[in-house]
Amino acid sequence: MTATSLPPKSSLTDVRVRVRAKRLVLYTVLVSVTGLFLGPFGWLILSGLKTQGELAASPVHWLPEVFQWHNFADAFTQIDFLGYARNSLIIALLYATLVTLSSAWVGFGFARLDAPGKKVLFGVLLGSMMLPQMVTLLPTYLIFAKLGMVDTYWPWVLWGLSAAPYLVFLFRQFFAGMPRELEEAAIVDGCGYTSIFWRIFLPQSWPVLSASFIIAFTWTWGDYIAPQLLLSTDRTTLAVAVMTTYVNDGGTPVPELQAAASVMYVVPILLIFLVAQRGFVAGMSTSGLK
Amino acid sequence: MTADQISTALDRPGTTATSGPARLADRPRTSMTARRHRAFYMFTSPWIIGFLLLTVTPMAYALWLSFTTFDGISPNWRYVGLGNYRELMNDPVTWDALGRTGLFAVTSVPLSIIAGLGLAVLVNRPIKARGLFRTLLYLPAVVPPVGAGLAFKFLFDQNSGATNGVLTIFGIDAIGWLADPYARYVLLMTVLWAAGNIMIISLAGLQDVPRELHEAARIDGASSWRTFRSITIPLLSPVLLFQTVTGMIASVQTIMPLLLAPLGDTGGVTTVPQSNYLYMMHVFAQYFALGRYGYASALLWVLFVLILIATGLIFKFTSGAVFYNVDPEAKK
Repeated sequence: MTATSLPPKSSLTDVRVRVRAKRLVLYTVLVSVTGLFLGPFGWLILSGLKTQGELAASPVHWLPEVFQWHNFADAFTQIDFLGYARNSLIIALLYATLVTLSSAWVGFGFARLDAPGKKVLFGVLLGSMMLPQMVTLLPTYLIFAKLGMVDTYWPWVLWGLSAAPYLVFLFRQFFAGMPRELEEAAIVDGCGYTSIFWRIFLPQSWPVLSASFIIAFTWTWGDYIAPQLLLSTDRTTLAVAVMTTYVNDGGTPVPELQAAASVMYVVPILLIFLVAQRGFVAGMSTSGLK
Repeated sequence: MTADQISTALDRPGTTATSGPARLADRPRTSMTARRHRAFYMFTSPWIIGFLLLTVTPMAYALWLSFTTFDGISPNWRYVGLGNYRELMNDPVTWDALGRTGLFAVTSVPLSIIAGLGLAVLVNRPIKARGLFRTLLYLPAVVPPVGAGLAFKFLFDQNSGATNGVLTIFGIDAIGWLADPYARYVLLMTVLWAAGNIMIISLAGLQDVPRELHEAARIDGASSWRTFRSITIPLLSPVLLFQTVTGMIASVQTIMPLLLAPLGDTGGVTTVPQSNYLYMMHVFAQYFALGRYGYASALLWVLFVLILIATGLIFKFTSGAVFYNVDPEAKK
């Protein structure tokens, strides 16, 4: 740091030097922390570009001798990557669409309507957000097995139809902030609540609708344990396939292909987030959830 | 909630499929209030029914199973009363797993909150490319668990991992990070990696702190640390409380140890190193490796009750410390 070693000429330059030194420290910290946070994923990409020999060698090969771009193509043929990606996509789209609509529907009820027992129900809704899902998932699996719904996508349809407490809360906050005149005018015009919801409230809630859809989609795409429990090897999702199926016929893992595959599994989620970031943040802040 | 109301709710399948304009002529002439009440239950019924069928029923089923020796195969299962509970109390593996989980929760939650707050303060400063830094620091929080688990497996690989590569430069021998006793630190780091989540939420809180408060404090001669402690933290306390509770629940049910373990049978639960053998891993082992549904259900119910107690205690002990800033203009 040359800035601090300069002899102070006057108090003004002294201050300037101090400010500069402070800024230098700030940016150094900022850049190194950011580097640290990007490191694990960067290393995963690098690992996907190495040969199996380089990944097994000690000491570490920092960079591949030759960048093995073909690993990314081979990852598609080693397993039915596209087939698993399609399964993931179907489940995620199915669940995200259903749960977004059902949560908006339920959120409307909590935001704009009244009935005896509403307070208690809302308390239960908030409380159920704190319920550890793993505790309910295992017995749910046994029940689904009994009903013959294992290895079908029905569990995701049922979960989707029954709304997610967190998303209900998101929609409730948003709908509660909309002016009362909106529905009063509609009621005077003889509209039922169903059409008030579909025609007036839903079209106004694009920020929350998209935020909810993205949350539900990424959550399902990322979920490992439910598909691992409920789906067979052929019908399972990309998350499970990337984790468990990159092995040779002899049962030895193929780490370089697994690394390449996991990068391709993660990147769509990162892209969705980057593209949606602006609207997403707007949706989160207008719903008052921060 | 009365049976009447449930049946009203059930009468009208409140699924999202019912759309279209309401037909005026068909509508019975009831009072506005009654209509609103009925409509409330029509709208909330998908969640009510789903909650009863997909949450309450499985929990009740697990409670019933926890009193039996049910294993899914043997037809000779029987009712054993509190037998499973007595067994788990006397099983040292349960206690070890429980203690490990508690330790993991009380370390990972505060550390990730501190990390998230630190990041928030860092990127809340007037810096160049602020949005870029925020995005990059938040990105790891979006990476799905499988991606995170694999990234850390490669990063901490004993031979080809970058971490040991760096250690070797400093003349330190390679460490078996993914095995005992170090695996717990890798697990902790996967949690810290996602601190961007807390950063974003705290950032929203930081930006809400009124400027005048900071200026007033500066005029009074308060140091920046003092301002942070006495103004920023109290105003952020509801957010921090929320993070503490959700963080605790998330850490209790994390499956990351499975994802960090070497590939093995039954979802890898048999290959999880001792130091990452958390309570949930114990449950998995009983469920899938051994098929002891009855015993595993008892374990789940004990966990459920413990989480309820812990949540209650957190709320009780923070009720005085959490400051809710009620802004009269906040409600537009």
